Amino acid sequence: MKIRRFLTRRLTFIIPLLVGIVFFTFMLVRLGGQDPVEMLAGPTATQGQIDRIEQELGLDQPLLTQFGIYLMNVAQGDLGKSWISTRPVLDDILARLPVTLELLFLGIGLGALVGIPAGMRGAAHPNGWFDQIARAISLLGFSIPTYWLGLVLLFVFFYLLGWAPPGIGRISMMVIPPPTVTGSYLVDSIIAGDWEATRSALGHLVLPVVSIAIISAAPIIKQTRAIAVEIYSGDAVRYAKACGLPDRQVRKIVMRNATVPILTFVGTEITGLVGTASLIEFVFAWGGLGQYGLNAIVNGDFAAVQGYVLALALFSVVVFLVVDLLVVLLEPRNVDAT
Amino acid sequence: MTLLAIDNLETDFVSRTLDDEIRVAHALNKVSFEVNRGEIVGLVGETGAGKSLTAQSVLGLLRAPARVVGGEAVFDGRDLLTLPPAEMNELRGYEIGLVVQNPRTSLDPLCRIGDQLVRMQRAHRPVNGRVARKKAVDMLAAVGIPEPERRMRAWPHELSGGMAQRVLMAMALINEPRLLIADEPTTGLDVTVQAAILDLLRQIVLERSMGALIITHDLGVVAHYCERVAVMFAGSIVEEGTVDAVFETPSHPYTRALLSATPERLKLGSGRQLGGPPPDLYNLPIGCHYRDRCERVRDICTTPPPATDLGEGHRVQCHFAKDLEGQPL
Amino acid sequence: MTDTAVATPRRRNVLTSRIKGLARRSPTAAVGFAIVGLFALGGIFAPLITPYDPVHSFPREILVDPGSTFWFGTDGNGMDIFSRVIFGARYAFAIAVPAVLLSLVIGVPLGLWVGYVGGALDEVTMRVLDALRVFPSIILALAVVAAAGPSVLNVVLVIGVLDSPIFARVVRAEVLALRSSTMVEAAKAAGNPTWRIVMVHLLPNAIQGAMAQSAVRAAWAIRISAALAFLGVGIQVPTPEWGVMIRQGAEFMVTGQWWVALFPGVALMILMLGLNMLGDGMQDLLNPRRRG
Repeated sequence: MKIRRFLTRRLTFIIPLLVGIVFFTFMLVRLGGQDPVEMLAGPTATQGQIDRIEQELGLDQPLLTQFGIYLMNVAQGDLGKSWISTRPVLDDILARLPVTLELLFLGIGLGALVGIPAGMRGAAHPNGWFDQIARAISLLGFSIPTYWLGLVLLFVFFYLLGWAPPGIGRISMMVIPPPTVTGSYLVDSIIAGDWEATRSALGHLVLPVVSIAIISAAPIIKQTRAIAVEIYSGDAVRYAKACGLPDRQVRKIVMRNATVPILTFVGTEITGLVGTASLIEFVFAWGGLGQYGLNAIVNGDFAAVQGYVLALALFSVVVFLVVDLLVVLLEPRNVDAT
Repeated sequence: MTLLAIDNLETDFVSRTLDDEIRVAHALNKVSFEVNRGEIVGLVGETGAGKSLTAQSVLGLLRAPARVVGGEAVFDGRDLLTLPPAEMNELRGYEIGLVVQNPRTSLDPLCRIGDQLVRMQRAHRPVNGRVARKKAVDMLAAVGIPEPERRMRAWPHELSGGMAQRVLMAMALINEPRLLIADEPTTGLDVTVQAAILDLLRQIVLERSMGALIITHDLGVVAHYCERVAVMFAGSIVEEGTVDAVFETPSHPYTRALLSATPERLKLGSGRQLGGPPPDLYNLPIGCHYRDRCERVRDICTTPPPATDLGEGHRVQCHFAKDLEGQPL
Repeated sequence: MTDTAVATPRRRNVLTSRIKGLARRSPTAAVGFAIVGLFALGGIFAPLITPYDPVHSFPREILVDPGSTFWFGTDGNGMDIFSRVIFGARYAFAIAVPAVLLSLVIGVPLGLWVGYVGGALDEVTMRVLDALRVFPSIILALAVVAAAGPSVLNVVLVIGVLDSPIFARVVRAEVLALRSSTMVEAAKAAGNPTWRIVMVHLLPNAIQGAMAQSAVRAAWAIRISAALAFLGVGIQVPTPEWGVMIRQGAEFMVTGQWWVALFPGVALMILMLGLNMLGDGMQDLLNPRRRG
């Protein structure tokens, strides 16, 4: 079957890709200007203490040996320990992953929900009033600095209007967080039936989600429009019109034919939006994986940096794989060729 | 009975140069001809002569920068050029069927053949699903598709070029239109497939006493399958008449050049090549548009040639039509 | 009137009418160009425009509201925000221009090379560039700058290198399309050496696509460098750079002193808007099909 062959081919490509990524992040951190031993030992450490730490971390070994050891550890799920949190990096990442995914997918979902129809409608009447406005908004979205947008939203909706909670954390400090099931406060509080927590979690989600939605809608509008314009000017739509199909049907044909390219595009955009989401987490003190990673990078917590970058790469790989799989399933050319 | 009467149709291309000047090209220049019931008319000419543009103008399918600026196209007592878009949409695919040039890219790639045939019927009137499917199967059989039941479930990409063209014919005919417009219906197909499809087209048109307009650059197609022919050059109809009259006594230098350039005549050794490139629509010669390429050009050709009627609807736009009539090629 | 009488004044105005024609074809590009030009002038003549030294601190004038003395107010260090915003344009261009040039210098030859040679080289290069896509660019830039140490030079180098694959892709696609064209085939058949075919036939055509991208890439460079500064990596306080200034003003956004972060953000947004408009307009002009 074609799908299985596709999957095996993809998966065999992913293994060397991951090894490459691990090597890349490993070298990036090692060759950097920051000396982890010094940071860990502190300025008053004696030479003996420094040597001991170096030994503990295996830093006295040749670089290639160090990489071999690290690779073995990674393969066994041991990503090392964070010096900031003093916990295993893997635990840190797993605890924070759902928090970030919740934010990321709600934001992109909202962005797509607005951006795709806007781009489609603009393409239906290129250079019409709606198209002009949609393009202007898209251009603006491309130009707003992510973190600044978050700050402005906080100023307006928290400081001025008092509608939104302060940008600290994911739930009010007066509310007891729900017991952890998925890691997302919103989902967990609904599961627990705790409506006060649900309301608080939802309220805290609004501004960061809207920020990500605005930033992600810009490229989605632009690309959806470009894809749809291409389809509108193609033979199939021309023929549909020649057949006298009503506009509603023509739009449906365009939508169906645009699905695969739009899906592919949004899939590739998600990777970039992880960066956007990290900045938003930073502004709203969200406490997810993004903020964890930024802190690790800024503070030279190199086990955490490696783990974080590896997690990002793995996430992107999974997203690409899922998108490719969906594309294969949606294309009749592939489904029938079994 | 006249089905479609095109009268002085004019279509322009309007564009703007880098120097911000507006340029206008008269892409169609007073095009007039008729299609009657029970006859097939061939519209013939070289690439860029305006054949497809004529069909698109009539069907309201023009895209910027092209737009109709004058004339009439009367179908069923209504001028198609001034019809509101919604009414035009009802006519297209229902009263007027269109067969286009690129069958494989024109069919909706994400919709099965049967579903497209059903969709086509339902776009124009409410039909019971079972009835519509039955009719689709019959139509596929009628256009010579083997195993029509099974083909209903085929995707467009699974069809060969010839099959796709037959499906397009089925699409065009399924609502039993009165007029069929076929724009280069057999370009890119094998000669044998070409003949089969055109035979079928002619048979169906005559059986149902429809009218048809075939757009082609192939004079052989016109000679075999059409009753009447209109020859286009640079947006104008330069000669029009019955196939017999035009092929026996071609009276416009361009028609004569076309006829002497067909492969058969080239083989016979008496043919001449068609001289020169198609004219630049933005800078057409004043007077007769063909004069830059005409071997009989005289001073008088800088004035617009009159429409000369040679009798029985054989009309020619040339100053020397009467002189050329009946001369050997 | 004779023909010459009409033709003469028109010829004199060929340049202005061509500019007018371009502006009418793409008002977006015209507005974008005007915005970018305005910021460039502001950056160049910053010392003449600004009322104060951008890093001079007035210890008694901390967090002053915008008003007639300090048009955009002062920040937490008592520095004049208006002067700092104007000087910020210098940093934006000082990073964007060399970064984009660096990307071009790396990306264009790379794209030409792998596109022209093709085969395994092309395959491997494209796979490596694909693999780099699994990292969000901001995170990658952040990690490298953090490792290499914060300095303007490092920021420029990192952004320039990270963005070069975009140009490589554009140029490669262009070369692949041109490589099998009749023009190139004819040049090859005529016995032209490879370097000549690349320089005369491929480069001029391929570089057009790359140039159309450059404005958008400059916007991206400014965006990334400001984000790095905002996170405290890269350019440092008290440099009058917009990202740094937004970082300084972040805490005041929730206490009501909105002007500290607002004005540098607005400046950043308008310049990026100008560059994006310019880039969009240029792509429309080069590729009319995109206009739809």
